[in-house]
Amino acid sequence: MELSEFVQKGLQYLADPEYFDVKTFSHLVEVSFRTLLASQTDDAILDDPEFKQVDKTLLKHCHVAATTCILEIAKQNADKSTVCTCLEDIKFDAERIDVFYSSFQKNKSELESLLSSIGKCPPHICDASWRLDYQIKNSHVHKVNQPTYLITLNVENDGARSADEVHFSCTMEQLQDLVGKMKDAAKSLDKATQM
Amino acid sequence: MLLVLTDEHKEHLGFLPEVDSAVVGEFGRIAVEFLKKGSNPKIYEGAARKLNVAVETVQHGVEGLMYLLTESSKLMISEVDFQDSVLVLGFSDELNKLLLQLYLDNRKEIRHILSELAPSLPHYHNLEWRLDVQLASRALRQQVKPVVTLKLHLETDGTQSARVLQTDPATLLHIIQELEHALAEVKTNHCRRILRNIK
Repeated sequence: MELSEFVQKGLQYLADPEYFDVKTFSHLVEVSFRTLLASQTDDAILDDPEFKQVDKTLLKHCHVAATTCILEIAKQNADKSTVCTCLEDIKFDAERIDVFYSSFQKNKSELESLLSSIGKCPPHICDASWRLDYQIKNSHVHKVNQPTYLITLNVENDGARSADEVHFSCTMEQLQDLVGKMKDAAKSLDKATQM
Repeated sequence: MLLVLTDEHKEHLGFLPEVDSAVVGEFGRIAVEFLKKGSNPKIYEGAARKLNVAVETVQHGVEGLMYLLTESSKLMISEVDFQDSVLVLGFSDELNKLLLQLYLDNRKEIRHILSELAPSLPHYHNLEWRLDVQLASRALRQQVKPVVTLKLHLETDGTQSARVLQTDPATLLHIIQELEHALAEVKTNHCRRILRNIK
């Protein structure tokens, strides 16, 4: 696992009891996970009363180092021994490694889902709603007498988290066709997972 | 339900008994052709020259037939009602039969053409799908994330468009289930009763 010099330096401060006692260290690790996952603004840590003893510039440096390190571990899916070796090299003691790693384990799956959502992908369908109408007549044709479905697919655009909708109408036969094709896809998916 | 013909319409059709039934047949064919593909005034000129009548007379004759066919198809009037409706024109039996046959032969297609004019939303045309497993990205390595990509083809007023969408397996199953509820709904007593009674 490669970390830049700046990040390594920040982590070294974190490892040093002169700058951070274990309690403050634990709190900083916890806050780092929170800023990554809860999209809390980074500036909030400067006002945190727990850190009032710590120099603000140093605090920012350490916060950046901790979050970068956390992201890198999550991104590489690094195993425990890799993480421990890396932290030992930066002179973390056993207690701090333990605090850091257990926090990481606790937040790992949430971090992964956050990271996997970054990047371009087509709009994601998240729900479907429908309406059934019976078309009776219109200005051009009378006695149409045909059931018609109005389908709405709710889609989320990546990153932006903005919701969008795809509307279309279809006859009963067309809806059967649509469902049939979706079922084919679901069946193939089922087979693929059994391989 | 009878068709109500205006005096002007009757006057336009009044030209038909004056010509041979083969000519009426040809007019009928042209009228149907125009309904399908749009009118072509050049044909009126050619026919008028052959029959030695004014272009307008031919045009009114053909347009009268087009109107007769679209109105009866629109209302989906029965065979008997059609015959009774054209009775007021005072045509010969042979000509009436010819018109009836023309109506019956083309009713389905004309209704189809008319139904395309009706205001409509984009409608379903086709669905293609693809199965992928996402393995890694810039932000996250070592993933195993199944992804279903769907290409939904829609049609609006004769033009096709497609949208590429994605979903995950659990949502796909949920959507299938939801749409199956929609399909089942039309078989419920409530829907069947409405469908049976509105005819």
